[in-house]
Amino acid sequence: MSRKEELVRWLEKELDGNFISAEATIPGRLFIDLKREALSAAATGLMNRGARYQVGVGYDARKSGQGFGLVHTFAFDKDSLLVALRTFAPEDDPEFDSLTPLIPGAGWSEREYQDLLGLRFRNHPNPRRLVLSDDWPEGIYPLRREVPHDLMPPAAEEVAFRLEEAPPGTSIVPLGPFHASLHEPAHFSVYVDGEDIKGCEYRGFMTHRGIEKLAQTELTYNDVPFVAERICGICGSVHSVNYAQAVEAAAGLRIPRRAEFIRMVALELERLHSHLLWLGVAGHLIGFDTVFMQAWRIREKIMWLAERLTGNRKTYGMVIIGGVRRDINQDRSEDIRAVLKEVEREMLALEKAILKDRTIHKRTRGVGYLSREEAVKWNLIGPVARARGVDMDARRDHPYAAYDEVQFEVPLADSGDVWGTLVVRVKEVYEAIKIINQCLDKLEKLPKNEPLSVDLEGPIPAGRQGLSLVEAPRGEAVHYVLTGEENRPERWRVRAPTYPNLQAVPSMLLNNKLADFPIIVGSIDPCISCTDRVLVVERRSGKARLLSGQELENLSRGKRSKK
Amino acid sequence: MWLWNKIKQLAISFRAGMVTLHYPFEPRPAPEGFRGQPVWDHTKCIGCAGCASHCPARTIFLRDICQELRILLYDSSRCTYCGRCADLCPEKAITMSDKFELATDNRQDITQSLELFMMTCQRCGRCYDLEIKNYIDRLSSLGYRYDSLEARKVIRRSTADFSPEELEKTVTYERPGRLEK
Ligand code: SF4
Ligand code: SF4
Repeated sequence: MSRKEELVRWLEKELDGNFISAEATIPGRLFIDLKREALSAAATGLMNRGARYQVGVGYDARKSGQGFGLVHTFAFDKDSLLVALRTFAPEDDPEFDSLTPLIPGAGWSEREYQDLLGLRFRNHPNPRRLVLSDDWPEGIYPLRREVPHDLMPPAAEEVAFRLEEAPPGTSIVPLGPFHASLHEPAHFSVYVDGEDIKGCEYRGFMTHRGIEKLAQTELTYNDVPFVAERICGICGSVHSVNYAQAVEAAAGLRIPRRAEFIRMVALELERLHSHLLWLGVAGHLIGFDTVFMQAWRIREKIMWLAERLTGNRKTYGMVIIGGVRRDINQDRSEDIRAVLKEVEREMLALEKAILKDRTIHKRTRGVGYLSREEAVKWNLIGPVARARGVDMDARRDHPYAAYDEVQFEVPLADSGDVWGTLVVRVKEVYEAIKIINQCLDKLEKLPKNEPLSVDLEGPIPAGRQGLSLVEAPRGEAVHYVLTGEENRPERWRVRAPTYPNLQAVPSMLLNNKLADFPIIVGSIDPCISCTDRVLVVERRSGKARLLSGQELENLSRGKRSKK
Repeated sequence: MWLWNKIKQLAISFRAGMVTLHYPFEPRPAPEGFRGQPVWDHTKCIGCAGCASHCPARTIFLRDICQELRILLYDSSRCTYCGRCADLCPEKAITMSDKFELATDNRQDITQSLELFMMTCQRCGRCYDLEIKNYIDRLSSLGYRYDSLEARKVIRRSTADFSPEELEKTVTYERPGRLEK
């Protein structure tokens, strides 16, 4: 009996009358509807069976009379299965059981919907604001249908950011929102005792762009990939491919083989330049600028290659629903091979010259240590998890596009520290090169004139769910799409890889030296822009000794009014 | 060991030499197929609004200022250079140029506006380009938004109703001269 059947049978029996339905849309996906009383029992059961928590998705289902919907998704990596549990709560009592006491990684998702949809979570250990700024008026929930996408409530005066008290015997060192070691706005208030970090509070979500709301109110299915691509400054294709896959899964569309391989080439090129970028940044953060210069020099070749292939260095614009827009023909494929060969040679030379360097070892070994158990507990993903010996990779465990047709290794390390993440990422560079070469081989063998995309045969029916994974350079990215009317998604949820990884940073920082703060935070390769994409653009009122709320406000409003 | 590593690093750095370009003192041409600023060809555009309704950044605007005049305004400040407009234009009136040095302190430098002469349909009173008719049919090009097929049907119907007698009467109407192609 497959895992899927076993789960359905068990849920039916265990939850009895609280089980509503189960639907298996495509292989590897299981969408379950439950009554909300049974949510935590079902989640406990899934976790006991070895599931990994991914993300929560809340949405406004009042139009169809169902109140508010909440979906929690779980992955069974060994069985290539993703399970989504959906429950509804009526509008006048939008309360659900909190899963956070059981799964710490669910904490942010739940706080997010508390802010954005006005849902309530019973027994949440830390039900404070997460996404909205502190002066956002009470009672306006931006993801609700009646709130327009461009709403900007007037800012309140003198609202201070509510930080927690430092534990006794420690003092606070505020790092951020703008800090030389952080490349994007985020605030860490670090508790130190002398040089040792004893704890930390994170506050982010300062640069919301409202992308999800925009897609649900303004854009159409085929517009979204071009906006999704701009979620992240590094891994754009990850999001556009992921979104397209989720919609295609919901619509039951199968894209041409040629398009699958072209998407893979784009994704792996991104992994290459992202890892090289990280290597450079990591070198820079530990004061080893030779690495920074040389890694970025090698990276530049890939950026130029991407520009020739797709028409742009970074926003490839390759993906549309149903396929891709540009072909990779024989000439281009030779161009790619030549560049990759050079990159591989240079990378080997660089690796030999730096991996034995004392500077790197001293600054990364034993720094930011987290045990394998902790990593599993926090649902860490990507190289951050693989550096802690957690053997997972969405490309292998939940193959999408044509990843099941190429051979590659999933590099692991067991040192559990920053050094491990470095080793894993360097090895992944070679694996990515291997994958691209295999894709090119396959592309050359495929018929040349195959169309690059397929058309929809009719409008996509409303109310279908699609769930998709892509292994981004930083870990798995999850997209959930609920199809809607008017040619646009009813709900589109993006969970970028930094979202779970960032939640574990306080644990990584514990008992390290303050001077190692930049490289520890840097080791997860935080992509704040990915994480902060959820809603209405808002500034955060800073603490008086950082930058006053008023100053920030003047800055941001000033920019706006010039338009 | 330490020294040996440093020597290797030195060697890599020396071999690479200086790679920074002398840009902007020396131009760096964009490669072929680059997606720079889109440019409209006034003589080809038929004012169908296909580009405007597919631009993900919603930065192309079409307005009818009177019965016969339609304005197309492209505002580059929000353009994402995705090239979707150029893909979809049934007349190939849009090309993605290789212009990327678009920083300016004057917004007018990067906007483009076209004034399009639309003829009024004698029957329904709406704008319709009778000169080069049936081009609407070509709109079902790749990735065209499905729901717009409805709009296409409406236009079809109005031409089908155009009786031969009515058509004959219009022969004497004055029309603008044909564009030389
Ligand atoms: S290139 Fe893209 S964003 Fe720019 S005008 Fe064309 S469709 Fe719009
Ligand atoms: S799609 Fe082409 S023909 Fe239609 S309005 Fe735009 S530029 Fe003109």
